[in-house]
Amino acid sequence: MSATAAASPARPPRPRRSVTVPIGILAFIAITWAALSAEIGIGLDVLEILSDLGNGARIWAEFLEPNWAFLPQTARPMLETVQMAIVASVLGCSLALPVSFLASRVTSPNVVSFVANRGILSVVRAIPDLLYALVFVAAVGIGALAGVLALLLFSIGVTAKLLSETVDGVDAGPIESARASGGGRLQIVRWSVLPQVLPNYVAYSLYVFELNVRASTVIGLVGAGGIGRLLNTERVYFRYENVSVIVIELFLFVFLIELGSIWLRRRLV
Amino acid sequence: MTAIAVPARPERPSNAKRNLGIAAVAVAFGTALLTIDMDGIEELPYAIGRLFYRIFLERPPDWTYLGTAGEFMLESIWIAWVGTIIGATISLPIGFFGAKNVSSGLVSNIVRQVLNAIRAFPELILVIVVFIPIAGLGAVAGALAVGLHSVGTLGKLTAEVVESIDAGPVEAARAAGGRPLQIQRWGVLPQVLPEVVAFWLYRFEINIRAAAILGVVGAGGIGFLLQETLNYRRYDKASVVILVVIVGTIAVDIVSGWVRRRIIEGAGARRTTADELEQPELIEGASEQIARP
Repeated sequence: MSATAAASPARPPRPRRSVTVPIGILAFIAITWAALSAEIGIGLDVLEILSDLGNGARIWAEFLEPNWAFLPQTARPMLETVQMAIVASVLGCSLALPVSFLASRVTSPNVVSFVANRGILSVVRAIPDLLYALVFVAAVGIGALAGVLALLLFSIGVTAKLLSETVDGVDAGPIESARASGGGRLQIVRWSVLPQVLPNYVAYSLYVFELNVRASTVIGLVGAGGIGRLLNTERVYFRYENVSVIVIELFLFVFLIELGSIWLRRRLV
Repeated sequence: MTAIAVPARPERPSNAKRNLGIAAVAVAFGTALLTIDMDGIEELPYAIGRLFYRIFLERPPDWTYLGTAGEFMLESIWIAWVGTIIGATISLPIGFFGAKNVSSGLVSNIVRQVLNAIRAFPELILVIVVFIPIAGLGAVAGALAVGLHSVGTLGKLTAEVVESIDAGPVEAARAAGGRPLQIQRWGVLPQVLPEVVAFWLYRFEINIRAAAILGVVGAGGIGFLLQETLNYRRYDKASVVILVVIVGTIAVDIVSGWVRRRIIEGAGARRTTADELEQPELIEGASEQIARP
């Protein structure tokens, strides 16, 4: 009997229970409790929000009757929004190209320049676009210039970070062959590195343009030009029927740009 | 003497499309640059220099303001945290409904379109239009807006991850007699969870930046403080606020990035494998290229 029974392998030992998971869950619960409580955090009360839905409904009813006669007045600010996004994206992506080569381990001339550029980039990226807009409005006054500058810095930060990491990962073969045939640093970048990262660069640029389109609609809220400025005026005077027109317009605008950008990116990749 | 047969030179590939693209960008840029109304550009270097002088040099930063700035930054972090939790909780089931292989083609299409529509509204617009009317001015409205916008992005990413799973475990769960919900729980969820949790952490990092600006429309957080100090020309305080935003954001990024790598790769793993995941910005836009196994 026992001879015919297949020798079953010993049961594998149960993996040791990890201590980090319970600790992580406890920390998560504690932070969430703190964040929700009124004393420490923001004081979110679901029941109160539900009972306040009625207030919202009254205001939303005004949104449902957009004042289409307002539409012509939005044309100029809308145009300015598009202009800001285009100018900032093209300038930003162009300036980001040399910056990303300086901020990559592969192409940076020395460690100091690499570390300095990476460091500056992470500081530039830590500040959101709207805070740049606030600072530039304080510097150059209300208008499209402040908006372009804010979007410009933001675009450089994003593009240069993405591209410098792509440059880090390029195939070393073409670099070696360019060096072996006597290429200088700039020539190596031009003929060995750039062709490898160009498709990514185009994709990142499109993506940054999309980000700028979104951002350019709102930075006007702090005075940096574009449709956001008009939105803010209408908002503070509680003219919700006009705000509604702007919001519908913004929605269509952002939606269409994104569809176009996704389509283009599919074709490129 | 024996001539080697030289193959015909290959034809040069056409550059027409590329040139057309470059021309289109150049025309758009030129037109925009010529028509945009940029008052004050001639004084730009002076204006920037003046602001730089005022913020950093004119008076030393008012370090007594550090406490207030820290409090408001903390409020931004709470807003981002709560918003991310709202977004994660709602987007997880929605992501399953948005995946073709789990729900039907029609349902997933509808869900995807709704998610796209949500994502088209920036947090600031959501807070003005939807949440300040409900919750009034303050951090709660901000957290709800951040949460709703996160549903849009996280739902889309979750759906894409669910679509890219290995079908084996799903079949095994079905063969073992699992009911539909059990199949999702044991066949799908374990496969997608690490990646999805990493997306949540990314969203948290992005939400920190969103929550830092909501204050300019009165929805809580440090944005309010920067607006106030700059409006009242208290540059010695504004410099402290800017510094707190930078340090706070970078600190959160570092901690969150560390946790993310631990979740994706486990303890002591090499970090090179999560190369795509090192690009948080692309998650929002080009996720279709990233969310592949």
